[in-house]
Amino acid sequence: MKADIELHLIHDGNRWVGRNDRLTAKGEELSDLDSDIRRILQQSGEYPVGSKLTVFMGFDFDTIPTWLRQYHTHYFNRVLSIEL
Amino acid sequence: MTAVNRKWTDGMLRTEDWWAVWLGLIMFFAGMLSIWGIDAVGWMAKPKTWEWTSFWSDPSWGKLLAVSHGGTGKAYESMHPLISLIVTWLIFAALTSLGAYFQKLNVKKFFLGFTCIFFITWTAWVAGHEAHFKALKTGQSITQSEIYGSNVYCTTKVNKCTKQINKALKNDGIDVSAGQVPTQEQAAAAVSKSKNSITMAWGLQLGGGFSYMLALAVGLIIGNFFKGFAGFLSAAAKPEWFIKTAIVYLGIKLGLMTMKATGFAVELALAGAAATFVAYLMFWPIVYTLGRKAFKLRRDASAVLSSGISICGVSAAIATAGAIRAKPILPVAVSMLIVVFAMSELVVLPAFYSAVAPDQPIVNGAAMGMTVKTDGADAAAGAILDEMMVANHYSKTGVQWESDWILSAAILTKIWIDVFIGVWAFVLALIWVYKVERKPGESHVKVSEIWFRFPKFVLGYFIAWMFYIGIAVWFPDAIKAATSGANVVQSPMRKMMFMLTFVAIGVITDFSKLKGMGKLAVLYAVALFGIIAPIAYVVAFIFHRGMTPPIVGS
Repeated sequence: MKADIELHLIHDGNRWVGRNDRLTAKGEELSDLDSDIRRILQQSGEYPVGSKLTVFMGFDFDTIPTWLRQYHTHYFNRVLSIEL
Repeated sequence: MTAVNRKWTDGMLRTEDWWAVWLGLIMFFAGMLSIWGIDAVGWMAKPKTWEWTSFWSDPSWGKLLAVSHGGTGKAYESMHPLISLIVTWLIFAALTSLGAYFQKLNVKKFFLGFTCIFFITWTAWVAGHEAHFKALKTGQSITQSEIYGSNVYCTTKVNKCTKQINKALKNDGIDVSAGQVPTQEQAAAAVSKSKNSITMAWGLQLGGGFSYMLALAVGLIIGNFFKGFAGFLSAAAKPEWFIKTAIVYLGIKLGLMTMKATGFAVELALAGAAATFVAYLMFWPIVYTLGRKAFKLRRDASAVLSSGISICGVSAAIATAGAIRAKPILPVAVSMLIVVFAMSELVVLPAFYSAVAPDQPIVNGAAMGMTVKTDGADAAAGAILDEMMVANHYSKTGVQWESDWILSAAILTKIWIDVFIGVWAFVLALIWVYKVERKPGESHVKVSEIWFRFPKFVLGYFIAWMFYIGIAVWFPDAIKAATSGANVVQSPMRKMMFMLTFVAIGVITDFSKLKGMGKLAVLYAVALFGIIAPIAYVVAFIFHRGMTPPIVGS
């Protein structure tokens, strides 16, 4: 099932960052990131109040150090369900 | 560009894991062409056992190297051994560089680094084949030293030398199979007629294990004392890629071995699966509890470390960290620890096991698979253990176990562990998301996560293994032709990938990285040597006790 919104997820050393062409959300913990996504979507006015959205976040494995990538090829993906 | 796993096909060209499958299967299918009389792998170079004095009396490349020949044709008969080595380099440099390109590595740096690693590897491999270090005594020299002398060594497989000497005696009218005993003069004459038997004042009888140890030592010296050069080589120092490719080639070997000893191979695989499952259920909770209660680690750190120590090293640490949504710095730190400790295990455990339990080869191999973390270090340790135990047993008893069964025991247990990582990480993710953290809104954990964490090289291993079993079952007439090509891939080619792994694993192991690890390093050492290693040995003993490899020639 295709999600309504897809984000690439990274950790910049301090915060989780989820971004696509249209939005960039940040948060120290994943719950903070989720709140930021909800806030940005509410403020954008792109979706009516009460909309139920699924957000797919795929971790960008290229941000894992090169020497470590040979051991494993996946970090995690997550799906967030939010109601605006 | 980003690397997100979204579809089940994602990563097929981008990851080393998949490239191990491609490199493995390319050579697997090239070897299979021997069924139709095409020798597509016979160009592969291989080292020969050589003796120092004999070499320097008349130096030539032909004394150090040989061309493999697939056995199906004469295509490479006139090839010079040095040309064979260059062709080997060109083909593997081209294939791995192609892989590096798709993996988005710096191809120029990779090619130069690979070339250096390749020739360092071959130098160590050829040096390790010097007869004083490698050659084993002939069977006659062990069991009838009063007639043949105790200083007759064999530069090829020892059963071959035994046959050559017996044949020479038969030609002189002495039939040892009928119970006739030669005089010392007749025995000496037969030894001199045997093409592969030599007399030497001393010999360490280390078998192929010496080459492995030498390659590891060279890699470690570079990694710890020539750090600038190690940095240059690191672009191509990919022990996991090399060893996973070697494991696919090992699938061919296991297929060939299964043709000869089906029951033993099946028993080994099933016992390995059972032992791994039992060990899994014990290791993780014990180490997690130790981390939480005794070392007061955070829940996420304890979980990641527990997986790293008790399951499959770096791979499990990353999988677990991802499953519990830990910050990436955590598995990176733990992984440094794992890589350094894996090297210590690789150096210590083969000698320890073969000294403590010389009569339990398969138990030792399986225990190795459950104890040594990371595929590369485990396969490397298994290979050393195999060479060491086969050589020791032979030198003590004159009975030679078939090689590679001990290694297969070490690899099979590790493969079951690897396969289970995805499932375990999935279970952990469910527990973490729904029980531990309970983040509102995170709707579900997708089952596709299991596939993304599944080690893909295992597919190549099983394809190669099952293919040969299929030939044995459905096309028994093709076995001989199939074997001739397969032998090149599963022997010199596989051993070269092992040798590349040894050098590469040494190059990337920097012991100074242990500095500052403090509590984590202490917990790792306590858990590994105080909990994992003893439990692994007991479990391996329960499931594998009494199993010994088939005997050569039986």
